[in-house]
Amino acid sequence: MNTSAITDQPFIRVQDLDFAYPDGTRALEDVNLTISTGEFVALIGQNGSGKTTLSKCLNGLYKPTSGDVIVDGLNSKTTPIVQMVRRVGYVFQNPDHQLFNSNCWDEIAYGPRNIQLTEDEVKTRVEEAAGVVGLPEMYFGEHPFFLSKGLRQRVAIASILALRPQVIIVDEPTTGQDARQSFEIMDFLKDLNEKHAHTIVIITHDMPIVGKYARRVIVMGEGRILADGPTTEIFAHPDVLEKTFLEPPQITQLAQLARDLGFYPGTLTVEEMLTQYQVIRGRTRL
Amino acid sequence: MNKTLLGYVPTQSPIYAVHPFVKLYFLLIVSLFPMFVAAPEWNIALMLAIVLLMWLSRVDMRTLRIYVPIAVSMGSIILISYILMSGTHPEFRLIARFAFIKIYWERVRDAIVVYFRILPMIFTMVFFLSTSRERDVIVAMRTIRLPFVVTYVFAMALRSAGMVLEDFQIVRQAEHARGFDPTGKSLGYRLRQYVMYMIPLFALSLRRAEEFTNALVARGYAFTGEASRVRRADYILTHYSFKYYDTLFTALISASFIILLVLRYGYQFFSIEQSWLINWLSTALR
Amino acid sequence: MPLAVEIKDYTWQYLNTQQPALKNINFQVEEGTFLGVIGPNGSGKTTLAYSIDGLIPGQYNGIKQGQVHVFGKEVEEYARGQLQRIVGVVFSDPEAQFTAMTVEDELVFGMENLGMDLPEIRERLEWVTELTGLRHLLLKPPYEISGGQKQRVALAAVLAMTPRVLILDEPTSMLDPVSRRRVFDVLLKLKQEQRNTIIVIEHSLENLIPLADRMVLLSEGEMTLEGETRAFFQNMDLLIGQGIYPPGALRFFYELKRSARFEGQLPISLEDAYLELERLSSQAPSV
Repeated sequence: MNTSAITDQPFIRVQDLDFAYPDGTRALEDVNLTISTGEFVALIGQNGSGKTTLSKCLNGLYKPTSGDVIVDGLNSKTTPIVQMVRRVGYVFQNPDHQLFNSNCWDEIAYGPRNIQLTEDEVKTRVEEAAGVVGLPEMYFGEHPFFLSKGLRQRVAIASILALRPQVIIVDEPTTGQDARQSFEIMDFLKDLNEKHAHTIVIITHDMPIVGKYARRVIVMGEGRILADGPTTEIFAHPDVLEKTFLEPPQITQLAQLARDLGFYPGTLTVEEMLTQYQVIRGRTRL
Repeated sequence: MNKTLLGYVPTQSPIYAVHPFVKLYFLLIVSLFPMFVAAPEWNIALMLAIVLLMWLSRVDMRTLRIYVPIAVSMGSIILISYILMSGTHPEFRLIARFAFIKIYWERVRDAIVVYFRILPMIFTMVFFLSTSRERDVIVAMRTIRLPFVVTYVFAMALRSAGMVLEDFQIVRQAEHARGFDPTGKSLGYRLRQYVMYMIPLFALSLRRAEEFTNALVARGYAFTGEASRVRRADYILTHYSFKYYDTLFTALISASFIILLVLRYGYQFFSIEQSWLINWLSTALR
Repeated sequence: MPLAVEIKDYTWQYLNTQQPALKNINFQVEEGTFLGVIGPNGSGKTTLAYSIDGLIPGQYNGIKQGQVHVFGKEVEEYARGQLQRIVGVVFSDPEAQFTAMTVEDELVFGMENLGMDLPEIRERLEWVTELTGLRHLLLKPPYEISGGQKQRVALAAVLAMTPRVLILDEPTSMLDPVSRRRVFDVLLKLKQEQRNTIIVIEHSLENLIPLADRMVLLSEGEMTLEGETRAFFQNMDLLIGQGIYPPGALRFFYELKRSARFEGQLPISLEDAYLELERLSSQAPSV
């Protein structure tokens, strides 16, 4: 079974979504999109563009002011949030905002207990989630507060995984991390996507990471979707990115500068650049 | 619109022209008035005068509606506690009886007096908070030469309140994102869960406190030692100057207070015996 | 040029830790240099920054060996509050640095702490507001401005204290690309106009490289590499091995060099990379 196949039936459907905060500020306007199972999507845009607000509408934390968010057939306006979070998990940017139990085991068990599973089921889920994130058993009894940032992040992700949501939204996975840590977390998300068939949505403005991992990009600006498509297409058109004050990763910019030399403006990685270089050099051998 | 401690006041409001010190002085002196005034009609008049001042300052009067339930419940509590829980004197006059509960006129009278003493004090405080921006409070304190440390701690307390509220929102969302659903649960359950919110808030505050201390030290601030005794230029005060009407208001407030004291102690004004409201009530309840 | 910072055989171990955070650090920074400090998380960059500012050992407990000199004087020998006139630090969390009620108060806070008088305060305030483009924000409270704006305020507040050495500890790690660019714009202006010594700890190499005169690599508490920027980035094997992820264009040419399709100095800026690429593409291919 091809676990990363993108099926035809969209798991998430957003129709004409508008969202305004209680004090009247309009955060989202006229948002329409679908997300199918197995996708790896990056939601990008500058601060205040609405990407976090949109994500919170997707898992039911926010209810639409008008329009609909339908997840796995359930409408977020009429579905209790407990049902929604079993389908769409949201990992907050700062793990400190959610860790409050006195040991990691209880922390990961919190979600399953909330959805009223039996203690046996809870045990299975916790061990499963801890295994997936690679949390060694010796940390099960430790207090999360005293763990390193990387471990805390893993515990936070495990606590969401324990609910077995199909879609996992991760808010700023690489902010404040160094290169090695960033790749670790992103490779982990890639595994979740390719080996465990989860749909991944990352909220980020780390463009090199987007280029390397995300197959689809949704660009947001001022509460609207400015562009939605495969990463390579979006990056090939930097004018859209400019509207939300982003620029493509440096390798893409190099390819764009060298467009007249034959390079494709939607180049995403150094590997792609090298391949093209081979071809171009081969051509001049005439 | 400018944000005050309790809401918003339009920029054109006349209250901004008044030096913050005058507002603080008003709060301190006028909230003492009810302590010397027993007759409820005078306190009610004071309360109305303050409401009038609020209206003149363009405070949004709808915010006062929030205080109605508070006022009502407070009044009820005072009345009930006075009736039920104070001792009796053989000379007390019985005005009603419900099963074993005896209601004495003197207790009702005392409750009314106390209630209308407290209300103007609260309103004065509300008036002050609704018309003072955070900066005004600091300026007022610096004008009366409170030690810098005091004003600074106060300012930071104000700031951290805002930050804690923000954190609290995010922590709530994080818990909901893990399936926490308080609908239909008992009050006890909800209270226990609120305790759980405290832990992340504590963790976040602790982490922030360390960074904050470093920032303070890096800015050259010293709590002790020679560096702490430096003469501060108090730049903030240069924005505010004492105008003729500020002096006038201060004089008026002081004068009113003195006149009040003279009338009270010199001529026995404002006493319960002289109060026509109390006397009228007394006859009405016979 | 006088030495702004001189560190000799410096080792620092925090209390209750197994390993020293910094081991045998030896290096010098001449006044007026723009120095970039990079390295994986936990390599000791922040410890180094705090050591130069006196926060270590002032605020932290641990064992110190060796010496840290700022303008010829040991950090511990400065009287309380004196070192902060010379060395200013901008931290990574914009929230935790906002110590006052409005932007203007924030800018003035440090100056008041130093006992500057009103005319001087006014002058510095004017200069710093102009440099960082904060004029329209002066009366705003912290909760009404963005993270990027808060960082510019922090930078301005520190600059207002006229430090001779300015240290920025991952100033843009919590900011979006726009805000990040604006902070670096201010740093560029500073570099051009003033003679401050600027030390920037960063993960965002794309923005750092164009500004840095010299670079330092820290890993596991040791100074693994140090040198003038262009020469520094020729050591790609070492950098990548230590977990540094240089910008795309640089990595591209590094791969070309590894497969012997390119010779010479690796270009460290996008423009240089493009020029090299153009030059290569128009050459006759080697057989």
